[in-house]
This record gives sequence, C-alpha cells and structure tokens, in this order.
Amino acid sequence: MSEVSSAISVNNLWQVFGPNPEKIVGSADASLPRAELREKTGNTAAVRDVSFDVAPGEVFVVMGLSGSGKSTLVRCLTRLIEPTSGSVVLNGEDIMKVSDARLRELRRTKFSMVFQNFGLLPHRKVIDNIAFALEVNGVSKEKRHARANEVIELVGLQGFAYAYPEQLSGGMQQRVGLARALAVNPDVMFLDEPFSALDPLIRRDMQTEVIRLHEELGKTMVFITHDLSEALKLGDRIAIMRDGAVVQMGTAEELIANPADAYVEDFTRDIPKSHVLTVRTIARPLADTETATGRTIPAETIIRDATAAVLDANGPVAVVANGNVIGYIKSRDILQVVGGGTEA
Amino acid sequence: MSVRTEPIIAITPKRISRRWILGGLLLSWIVLAQFLRGKATLELDNPDNSPFTTWAGEVADSIRDNRTDGAAFKFFFNPIREFIDGFVTLSRELIAIPSGSSSIPVLGWLGVISVIGFVVYAVSNIRMATAAVALTFACGALGLWTDSMDTLAMTFAAVILSLAIGIPVGIWAGLSDRVLKAVTPILDLAQILPTLVYLAPLALFFLIGPASATIATMVYSIPIAVRLTAFGIRGVPTSPVEASISMGTTKRQLLQKVQLPMSSRTIIMGVNQTVMAALSFVVIAALIGAPGLGKPVIDALIIRNVGEGFVAGIAVVLIAIMLDRSTSAAISSQDTFVPPSDADRKRRRIGLAIAGILAIVGIVLSRQLAWAAFFPKQIDISKQIASASDSSVKWVTENMEFLTAGLSKAVTVGVLNPLESVLANSPWYLTVVMITLMSLILGGIRSAIVSATLLGAIVATGLWYDTMITFTQTIVATLLTMVVGVIAGVWIGRNARAERALRPILDAGQTLPAFVYLIPMLGFFGPSRFTAIATGIVYSIPIVVKIVGQGIRDVPVNMIEAATSTGSTKWQLITKVQLPAAKKSLLLATNQGLIFVLAVVVIGGFVGAGGLGYLVLLGSSKPELQGKGLVAGFCILLLGVMIDRIAQYMVARNSAPKH
Repeated sequence: MSEVSSAISVNNLWQVFGPNPEKIVGSADASLPRAELREKTGNTAAVRDVSFDVAPGEVFVVMGLSGSGKSTLVRCLTRLIEPTSGSVVLNGEDIMKVSDARLRELRRTKFSMVFQNFGLLPHRKVIDNIAFALEVNGVSKEKRHARANEVIELVGLQGFAYAYPEQLSGGMQQRVGLARALAVNPDVMFLDEPFSALDPLIRRDMQTEVIRLHEELGKTMVFITHDLSEALKLGDRIAIMRDGAVVQMGTAEELIANPADAYVEDFTRDIPKSHVLTVRTIARPLADTETATGRTIPAETIIRDATAAVLDANGPVAVVANGNVIGYIKSRDILQVVGGGTEA
Repeated sequence: MSVRTEPIIAITPKRISRRWILGGLLLSWIVLAQFLRGKATLELDNPDNSPFTTWAGEVADSIRDNRTDGAAFKFFFNPIREFIDGFVTLSRELIAIPSGSSSIPVLGWLGVISVIGFVVYAVSNIRMATAAVALTFACGALGLWTDSMDTLAMTFAAVILSLAIGIPVGIWAGLSDRVLKAVTPILDLAQILPTLVYLAPLALFFLIGPASATIATMVYSIPIAVRLTAFGIRGVPTSPVEASISMGTTKRQLLQKVQLPMSSRTIIMGVNQTVMAALSFVVIAALIGAPGLGKPVIDALIIRNVGEGFVAGIAVVLIAIMLDRSTSAAISSQDTFVPPSDADRKRRRIGLAIAGILAIVGIVLSRQLAWAAFFPKQIDISKQIASASDSSVKWVTENMEFLTAGLSKAVTVGVLNPLESVLANSPWYLTVVMITLMSLILGGIRSAIVSATLLGAIVATGLWYDTMITFTQTIVATLLTMVVGVIAGVWIGRNARAERALRPILDAGQTLPAFVYLIPMLGFFGPSRFTAIATGIVYSIPIVVKIVGQGIRDVPVNMIEAATSTGSTKWQLITKVQLPAAKKSLLLATNQGLIFVLAVVVIGGFVGAGGLGYLVLLGSSKPELQGKGLVAGFCILLLGVMIDRIAQYMVARNSAPKH
C-alpha cells in the first residue's frame, strides 16, 4: 500500500478508549457496533480500521458528523492521541514507531496543524505565534521573524504582526492559525474543522483562501469537516466516516453518483447533483427513435455547466471522452437531474 | 432491557418519608434528653485529666526529653528549625530587630516605607503605592512600629518559604494527575483544619519561638499556594496546549512558554491568598512565640483589655489591607494579555526610576539619621484610639444594652441552652446514636460510619463534654450565619447593584484574621459563649454570602423566565425556583460556614466560651495540662472532619443524577 508515491499512507489504524484497548483490535468484538462494544467490554472504538493514501499535493477531506471519530483520527495521524494499532507512513517513515525526539522533530518541520478553536497563544504577538514552531526548534529570532513576515504576507495579515490575538476577529485569528501552520513549510498540513467556529460569510472567504494557498503552494492537506459543501468545494477526494470507520471514499462525483449506503445517501441528499456530477454519469446509448445532432460535449463537464449547450441543441448531444463518443444526452436527461433537484 | 422508570416513581415518596423520619428522630431525641438529663455526660473538670489525656501528656514529655539527643531531632527537626530560624531572623533584622552589632534594623522606618512604596508601585500603580505608604505609616502612628514590622517580617519569611515549596508542588500537581490525586486529601484536610489545632503539636517538635510559628504558618499557607497553582495550570485552555504540542514543544518548553504565562493570573491570585493566610496565621501564632502584633492582641483578649487590643487589632487590619490591596492590584493589572502601549511603558519606566531613587534616598537616610531610623515617638495616637474605643464600647453597652445584652440573652436562652442540653447535657450514648442516625438519613451509610467512628474516638479521649460544648456553639453560630447569609446572598444574587456595593466589604471581611473580630465582640458582649458565637457569625458571613449569591446568580436565566412567564410572584420565584436551583451552593455554603465558624468558636474559648479552645489555651500555659491541650486540639480536628464529611456526603447525595 505505501508506495513512495503517497505523501501520507494510513494503514489499519485503530484507536480504542477504555480498560483494555489492545485486546479489542483483531478480536471478534472489533466488528460489533459501537454501542454494543461498549456495553460488552467497556471500550469505545473511536477509530476503527481506517486505511487511506493521500497523494502529494492532494487535498484529502475526512467528513463525518460529530462523534464519528474524525477529530480523533486526525489527532492519531500526528500522535496527539496515541493510536492503539496501525501505521501512519509519512515520506516512507512510520511515525507510529519513531522516538519521542524524532516525533518532535517531525512536528517541528514536516507536518503542521490548524485547529477549530485556533489554539493561539494569547500572551504572544501575532508574529511570535506564527514563529512559535521555529522558536521551539531553536531558530534564531532574526530568521524566524523574517520567515514569519513572509507567511504574514502570504495569508494577508499585513499590519497585524505586532497585534495580540484577542485584538483580532475570529477570521483574522484563524489566518494566524493558517500562517502558523505554513511557517515551517511543512510536507503535510492537517486542518481540523478550521472554519467551523466562523460566521458563514467569513467561512466562505477562508475556504477560498485555502483554495488559493493550495494552488500557490501545492501543499498536501488532510482537511477535517462536518460540512459536505465544504468537503465538495475543497476536496480532491473525500472519506466519509461513521462510528469510527470509513464508510466510503472517493471523489465528490463518485460519492454522489453511487452512495455506498443509506448513510452516505442521506448526507448527499441536500447537494444539487447537477452541481457535482459530470455529463459522463448520465450519458446513455442513443435510442432507436433518436438521431444525433452532431454536437459534442466533453465528458468531464459538470451537468450544470452543460445545461445551456444541451438545451440549445434540440436533440441528443454526443458525450466525448478521449476522442471517443461514450454516449448521448439530451435536454430531458439534464432536466431529470436538475428537476430531481435536491431530491434523490 | 432494564426497567428505568422505577426510580423516578420512587423518589417523591422517599423524600417525604425522609423528612418525617428526621422530624420524628429529633422529637424523640429532645424527649429522651429531657428524661436522661445530666446522666452520663462524661463531664471532666478543667483541672482534671482523663486516662487518655494523661497518656498524651506523658508522650509529650518523652518527646520533649528527646529533643537534644533523639535521632529524629538531631537529624530532622532541629536542622529544619535552625534553617528556618536563620531565615526568619534575617527577615526580621531587615526591618524589625537590631541587626548584628547595630542598634537598628538594616532599614529604619523611612527606609522600610520607601521600599514598600517602590515595590507596590512596581507591581501595581501609584495610587496603591501611596495607599501602602500611608497604611504602613499609620501602623507606626499607632505606636506599634516594631510589632508591625515583626508581623510583616514574619509574614514575608513565611510567604517566601511557602511559595518556594507551594508553587513547584502546585505546578507538579497541575501537570500530573497522579500527583494531584496524592496531594488532594492533604489539601482538603488542611482546609478544614482550624488554625488552633496544629500550634501545640508543632511547638512540641520545633520548640516555642519564631521558627515554630513560621513552620505552623507554612503548614497553613502552603496548601493554598499548591491548590491555586495547580488550578491555574489546569485551567489553561486545552487548544493552545494541544496546538503547541503539535508544533513539537518539549514538556519544558510547553511549561515555560505556554502553561506558566497563561496561568500567571491565577498563580498571582494564589500568592495573594497565601500572603493573606500567612498574615492571619502569624497573628494567631503568637500563642507559640511569634513576635509581632499577635502578642498584644492575645494579651489584651486574655486580660479583657478591649482598648489596647483594639489598637493592635487596627494595626493588623491596616497591614492586611495594605498587603491585600497591593497584591490584588498586581492581579488586576494583568487583566488582559495585551501589554500597555510603548508610550505608557516609557512613562512607567521614568516613574520607576524616580521611585527607585526615592527608595534609595530613604534607605540611606534611614541608616544615617536617627529621625529616619526610629519611628518618631511624638506621632503616637494609640492612647487616643484606645480610650476612644473604650468609651464607645462603654457607650454602646450602656445605651444599647437592650440590644447587646438582649441579643446575647435571646440567643443564649432561646437556642444555645436548649441545644446544649440535648447535645452535651444528655447521656453520651444518646448523642452518639442520634447523630449517627441523622447522618445516615442525611448523608447515607458511609457518612453514618464516619460519624460513629469519629464520635467514638471523641468519647475515648475523655473530652466528650467539652467537644459537645464546642459543637453546640458551632451549630448555633452556623444556623444564625445561614439565616443572615442566605438573606443577604439572595439579595446580592438578585440585585447587581447590591452585589457591587457589598463586594468590597465582603472581600475585606474575608481577608482579616479571625482574632481581630474577637476584640470588638468582647467589648460588646463581654466574656461569654455568645461572644464566641457572634465572632463566628461575623467571620463566616462573608464567605456564606458570596457562595449563596453566586449560586443564585448562576441559576439559568431561562428557568427564571419560564417561572416569571407562568405568573410567579417574586417570593414564589425565590422560594420555588432560585433557592431550590441553588441547593448545591446552599449546601456548600453551609459546609464552608461550619468550618469557618468552628475555627473561630474554638478561639472564643479565650474569652469565656469554654469548650475545647479553652482547654488548648490551658494546655499551653499549664504543664500538667499540656496533654489535655493536645488532645483538645485533636478533638477539634475530629469534630471538623466529622462536620465536613457529613456535609460532603450530603452534597454528593444531592448532586447525584436523579435517574
């Protein structure tokens, strides 16, 4: 599983709270539903048998409701919470096996984290908050302030370097959080519901900001959220968690087109399909009664974006992938998706 | 599937029947006590010893004989004593007693005052510094400069040593659950231990003198420093801590750069409380040879000289206000994490430089010139204050006698005597059985076992009767405290303006040493049991009012809105919503009230209230009764633990989930 091609590779990760966590993993009890497991053994499985690979430069979103284990999962990846078993391989190094000293070194240089409640140090200026990881790593004041000023520029905090966190708005505080995570130039960034505590409008700004930063810097990100629209907006791939386990993993389109179970379907119900699905998913063979119009449309076009062209065509439009026609759609097909609207 | 509805149904009838059982029990207790009045009360005359107290006296004697040669003394107690003695002497030589070959302390009065001004300015502001200088000067004007400086020096030494131990232990307990678990029982015990209890045992091991007094003070104030430091470290929000760990801090970096700076406010609050605890203890520690203001206070109490005691009491109050205001000003200037602007800082630096120069000038003058070294004798208003207080007490007792004597008589005849006849003047077995049964009903089986065991131990010491006398006074004073405290607490809980107006008085009341209250009460009510009770009430009301007020304020707004919207009157709102919802606070207030009252009521033994406190005092002055004094202290401890345990079990019972 852990080829060099992935930035981070998680294999069979378990996190069990309770009196005898080691005994649960691999036993018959492990497959019990969470409530039954607790009743029977007194243990709670917060993360159960989670495996995934994140490619370099990918934004991987973990999504789930509160209590689904997503926050525990992300803390296990950096060992803020010790997992019960499994491996997390970062650049070929299994961080479950490294010494405390090496773990600190990794935290100071290789990965960084952004928190829901910001976690800023109120007694330090913005610039010293941002430079904190460099400071604990023994970087000289001059160098770390120079670096901090770079990222201050990057996240748009110019003029606030010498302010204190309590003097900033929530959105600005989380910019400090982002800057702090970027300061060490990490290989992987973990973002634990970074925008959940913000107002909707500011949240949207910050999402755009993350997209921009990702485009500029190309950092690998593991992004935790409970908000599906945020997941769809940011994620290259999305893992949906429930009761500590991953129930489905894939691109936004895969999740919406083929929900693995009723739980995932329930999640995706409110998402307008036409905003996510491509025309590929509704392409079909030409019926006997139809004749092609001769117009074509690329298979990866989002349905919403194809609407005008298809309605305009007044007949079946060929869906083309790699130069081949993979099927046809016409206005009725589009209207079915759009008209089905938010419904199934 | 278990049946979950059953307990919900069971609760209501059980509550009612419990009340009836309690009432029946009380009634039968009173009736039985009348029938068996004066039988098996185990009363022991003051000059007599019980077998147990005789034995305790022998043990004390053998410890005393061991002092020079015993290994424990040679290698443990004596070195500690010598170290602390040296430290205290150093501190006293600085401001209070002649240092070395010189005839004056290192700092004369002008030097002391200018250093105090500088230090207080440095930790807070110019207003506080001026106030501190004025208050210190006033101590001199009361003719008590040396005694005041001794008290200050003793307090200073005890605080430094207490913080040197308390803060590191507190940090450790803040970081480690295991350490916290290990120290918590000790901290809890220290909190309920009346001050009078550990004076005699410590004097036994560390001799009478400043060292013993300092050690006793430390025993009292270290737990406070530990508790607040640990509380501060634990109170640091988790998210900055987690974020810092995620950035690769070592434990040391985390402590230095995150946990300590973020908990500094609470830790300074701990310093403030440690200082106040040390001061109030240094006063009482005069009983085992602490120099300073405690001595004139206690002497005045014992010979019932209200005027002189009043002057010394005022000096204690002035020092208390000075220390409290300047240390708490250091807290409030830290209200925000944002430091002052650069311009402010520059101004302050100039201010500090000027204050520093003034302080140095003051120090130099006080070492060179007689007028700056010895506090001028011409400025002495102690006679005027003493006679003014004597005459105002006289005026009150003559013109308001209907009030003072009336109040005293009403409480004594109406409440104190009947309760005493039930608790103390009835057979011991009846009291033991009844208290055990009542704690069974109120606090459950474990509280009953604790009560029975502790009461049994008290019977075994032979000081049963005196313990019950003290217990009676404690209960009466607590009842009255609760009546006043709940009324005032509800008032400030419902009325923000009243809260703001009363808070400074309550805060001040809480910081004063208990002894100080005893002096005016002695003036008003003379040497009697009621004086002890009145002092207990006055001393414990602030804490009770604060807790009740907080409890009332904490009742959720939506509960009150819901009740108001259904048309409740104000009275219904208070009795049916706010008080029941604040039940836990009421219990907590009762618990605290009992502990505070007990601590003061035993001191009331000095002014004619009898009971265990008087035995402690007797023990310290009469060698043949020293065993009895030690055991009396032990009985105070047992009583305190019993009261606290019953209250704790009641709180636990009442806060348990209802289903």
